[in-house]
Order: sequence, then structure tokens, then C-alpha cells
Amino acid sequence: MGSIEGIITGFQTAFSLQGILFVSIGVLVGTIIGMLPGLGPITAIAVMIPVTFGMDPSSALIMMAGVYYGAVFGGSTSSILLNAPGISGTVATAFDGYPMAQRGEAGKALAIAAIASFVGGTVSVFLLMALAPALSSVAVSFGPPAYFALMFMGLTAISSLSEGSTLKALISAVVGFMVATIGIDGQSGTPRFTFGNSNLMEGLDFLVIALGLFALAEVTTLIINRKDSSMSKNKELGSLRLSKNDLNEMKGPVTRQSFLGFIIGVLPGAGATIASFISYIMEKRLAKNPEEFGKGSIKGLAAPESSNNAATSGAFVPLLSLGIPGSGTTAVMLGAFLVLGIQPGPLLMTDRPEIFWGIIASMYIGNIFLLILNLPLIPYFAKILQIPRPLLISLVIMFSMIGVYSISFNTFDLYMLLLFGVVGFLMRLFAFPAPPFILAFILGGMMEQSFRQSLTISNGDLMIFINDPIALSLIIVALLTFVFPIIKQIRAKKR
Amino acid sequence: MLKTINQRVSIILLLLAIGYLYLSYQLPSFAYTNVDADVLPKALGWLLAVLSIALFFSKDSETEEQKARRDIPRKDLGMIAIVFLLILGYIFLFEFLGFILVTLLFIFFSSLILGYKNYITNGIVSVLFPVILYFAFTEFLQINLPQGILPF
Repeated sequence: MGSIEGIITGFQTAFSLQGILFVSIGVLVGTIIGMLPGLGPITAIAVMIPVTFGMDPSSALIMMAGVYYGAVFGGSTSSILLNAPGISGTVATAFDGYPMAQRGEAGKALAIAAIASFVGGTVSVFLLMALAPALSSVAVSFGPPAYFALMFMGLTAISSLSEGSTLKALISAVVGFMVATIGIDGQSGTPRFTFGNSNLMEGLDFLVIALGLFALAEVTTLIINRKDSSMSKNKELGSLRLSKNDLNEMKGPVTRQSFLGFIIGVLPGAGATIASFISYIMEKRLAKNPEEFGKGSIKGLAAPESSNNAATSGAFVPLLSLGIPGSGTTAVMLGAFLVLGIQPGPLLMTDRPEIFWGIIASMYIGNIFLLILNLPLIPYFAKILQIPRPLLISLVIMFSMIGVYSISFNTFDLYMLLLFGVVGFLMRLFAFPAPPFILAFILGGMMEQSFRQSLTISNGDLMIFINDPIALSLIIVALLTFVFPIIKQIRAKKR
Repeated sequence: MLKTINQRVSIILLLLAIGYLYLSYQLPSFAYTNVDADVLPKALGWLLAVLSIALFFSKDSETEEQKARRDIPRKDLGMIAIVFLLILGYIFLFEFLGFILVTLLFIFFSSLILGYKNYITNGIVSVLFPVILYFAFTEFLQINLPQGILPF
């Protein structure tokens, strides 16, 4: 378990003036970017990475974590007001949030979303504090075979849980892995797939992939919908006040879904999006009057909102304690760690307690800030949604360009960014999910390394993955994740 | 033969796999290592080949929504192409003209072409955005952006 000293160091870092300043900047930027339709946490984190250069790593990462959960928090605003989810994790929020807003109760819907998010976020930080150190102390004993199996399971889980065809998700992951092999091989020094181009020697930077596949590809959707007038609709929000009855109705779903969301967030492959849908469906089944769902039910709004925010903190468990991201967003978050020279993993808690505990402790402050930003100040923030789309499109493109250039100082990488923007656009067109691609790209190098280390230990014997009990059980789980989609298909055929 | 979209996509993926495999088999391999640099690429190439063949024979399970997503009006596709060319021009001129100038031009013209009619706001944003960012990056973050032909 974590030492008390470490926890104290973390709280001191988070509650210092600097810590409070950077967590508030983080959640503010996250809320704004998350609010803008289509631009999600991946874009938010990727765009903010250059800002962290030269910053003290603990402040920088406290800020980046704030950007992440701030984006999930902010995504609900555009779901409710425009029926255009800011991020995929708040799609379910629109089911009941938007009808409520159409009834003229937008203010009430925003208040419910803010409170549900706050409770979900805060409950899950408590759980994160308990679970992350426990997992860290177990993971210290993991060898390369277990690590390889863990990442393998992460990739299969994200592929089988992605929306749409599992086959396409797998293809997406394999191609992402292939792109990761470009560059000099870390172990033998052999250049691979560089075509003699010196710019490719070090491989492609993850920012090129993240901003290309997510930010630039999203720009194409924004271009297609640029004439959507809903952006400029200036609706009255109505009162933000909630009655005692409203609060009573929220109590059940918020409590249950905070726990469920957290658990789903911890699991590899699933994240805020899946958590929010499962919570919505569960509350609909539990409700006495399920026919109200979809027509502006308080429960239907509160459930996905507490769940998606809880899942966000849950996703930090594997990232901080194992160093292995379970989703596309946390994969980019891992990139942010690595840019600052911090390797998350089982040793982070003991080696850098100010970072490990600092991030966790800062989430308490971050959630309070988010509540303030989203309750009394929301009418002012909602004005951001009125930014004209053509201008928004131009600025998003510019932010992506600056982000990549400031990490490489090379126009070659800008051309690569544009190329991956086109790839991302084509992937959207043909329904290939992008999160498996980015996860495989970021895990690729680590996976290959642990695979080769394992075989070096065993002198080339593949049995090492079967003789290691942890690795074996993880691989079995990974293979089982494919059974579910197949069962689903067979069931669908029978109907 | 190539009736469905999936079949056409799978052919492209298969070609990608073949190209990747061809390059993988050219990678040098040394005798004294257990797993050399070529093992994983070969495995990935074969895996993609198998998966793309599976995609070729899989039943087209696209939802209506996914089909609708591909149904982009010609006008919008043209607009995407124009923005693509604008970005290409931006990158091409980036180091020559310098960050401030090229960003200013990009924001103004791309917003204009995308249908933003408010010239005054557009002008203000396209001047302020690059100038503020340029000084924020060079002064506070110590990240040098190309200065180009401007004297500062």
C-alpha cells in the first residue's frame, strides 16, 4: 500500500498555489474544448501537450489530467443544448437532456448534469485512491510475459468493444501497430520501413497520429455540417434551480452509476462511452416508469452523466499503476506522460509520489472547479457554442499544425499530419474505428519490447506465456473477448 | 465481383499487407538473436492479410447510419478538397513566410471560403490569433516558431 508520506506529498503538490492554478487551467480548457461538438478529450490533450514543454512535470500532468476529465464534463453541455454531443461519452446524455432543454428546462438539465458529474467524479477519485496503490503493489512483480499479455488483452478488448464491426476494429489495430514499427528498431538498431528517409528514423510522433486521426478527421465532419444553424440559436436557459424532488429522484441512479462507471473505466477497452450507455440502459430497466426515458427523464440524464465521469477517473487506475492505457484517450494521456519524461507504472507511486498522488489529489480540486464552472457560470460558457463554424474549423486546423510543429520543428511532420488526417477521414467514411488504431500505435513499441524480452528470457520458447500464470489467464480473457461478438452475431442471425 | 464496399476496401488492405510483407522480408536478420527486428512485422503483415481476406468474405453488416455517413454531397467533398489544398499550401509556405503571416492568411481565407461573411471579426481573429500565439510560444514557452520574412 502507499505510504502515508507519499499521500501527504501528493496533497501538498495538488493543494499548492501552483497545483490549484494548473488544475483550474486544465479543467477550464478541457471544458471549453469538450463543449465544442466533435472535439473530444483526445484532441484536447493533444493540443495542450506543447504547452507543457518546460513545465514542472507534476504541475503539467495535474493540468493534463484536468483537461481530460474537464472535457468529459464539458461534453454534456452541447449534448443538452444542441443535441450535438461534444464527445462520444456524452451521446447518452442527449437522450434525455435534449428533450428537457426543448421543454424550456435547459438550465435544470445542465444543473442535473453538473451535479451528477460532480458526484461521479468525486466518488471515483475515492475509489481510485484505494485501488491504484493496491494494483501498483501487485504489478511490481509482473514480468515481461505478463506485461505483454496485459497489453494484448487491452488491444483485443478495445477491438471487440468498439462500435461497429469487430473485424474492422481489429484491422484498425493491426494497421496502427504496423505504423508503430516504422523507424529504427529499439533493440537491434535495424531501420524498418524508413525508405531511407532520415525523418522517419525515429518513427512517427504520436501527436501526428492523434491530431490527424481525431482533430483533422473531425474537421471534415465540421465542414460537412458547417451550415448547421443550431450553433447560433440563442435559447433561454431557464432556471438552474433544482427542487427537492428532483434531487431525490437523482439520488439512486447517481450513487449506483458512480460505482458502475468507475468499474467499467478500470477495465481495458471500455471507457466513458460504454459506461454511459450501460448505465442508461440499466437505469431504464430499474425504473418504475421506463416510458419516461427519452422524453426528458431526470434519471435518464443523471445516470450516464455520473457514469461517464466516474469512468474517466477509473481509466487512470491502469494508466497510473500499470503504465498501460486501456483506451484511445488514455493512450494519448500516456504520450503526454512520456513527453515529460515520466514513465507511469508500478514504480511511479514510490519513485515519484508527488506525481502519482498529486494527480489523484488534484482531482478533488478539479471536480469542485468543474462544479463551479458548470453551475453558476454555465450561461456564460454556453456562449462559446455560438462561435461561427468556419472560424472554428480554421482555428482547429491551426492548433493541430502548431501542436505538431512545436514537437518536431519539421515541416515533414506537418505533411504526415495531413496524410493521417486523410487516413482518419477515410476510416470514418468506411466505418473503421480510430481508437484501436491509436492504442495499438502507442502500445506497439512497448508490446514488441516485452514480447522480445520474454523470448530472450525463455531462449525463444513460446511456452513462457503459458507457464506464467498471470500471462496465461490474461491471454485467455483476451481470447474470450472475441467470443462475445460472435455470440452476438449468431443471436442477431436467429432473429 | 467487387460488389460491396467492404470487398473493395479489403482489396486495398490486402495490397497494403502484401507491400508491407514484401518490405518485411527484406529486413536483415541476424543469427544470434532469438527474435529479430523482422519477426513482428512479418507476423503483422500476415495477420492483416488474413483479416482483409476475412473482410472480403464477411457479410456486409453496415447499418443505414454508416451508409448515410458516406453519402456526402459533392459540394461538401469539394470544400474538403479545397481545405486540404489550403493546408498543403500552408505547410509549403510555413517556413518561408513565417508563422505569423502564413497563419494569418490561412485563417482569413479558409474562414472566408467556408462561408464566414463577417470580414471585420474574421480580420481581427486572423491577426490576433497568430500574433498572440507567436509571442506566447517564443517568449513564455521558449518554443521557436519560424520567423520567416517578418523582421520580428
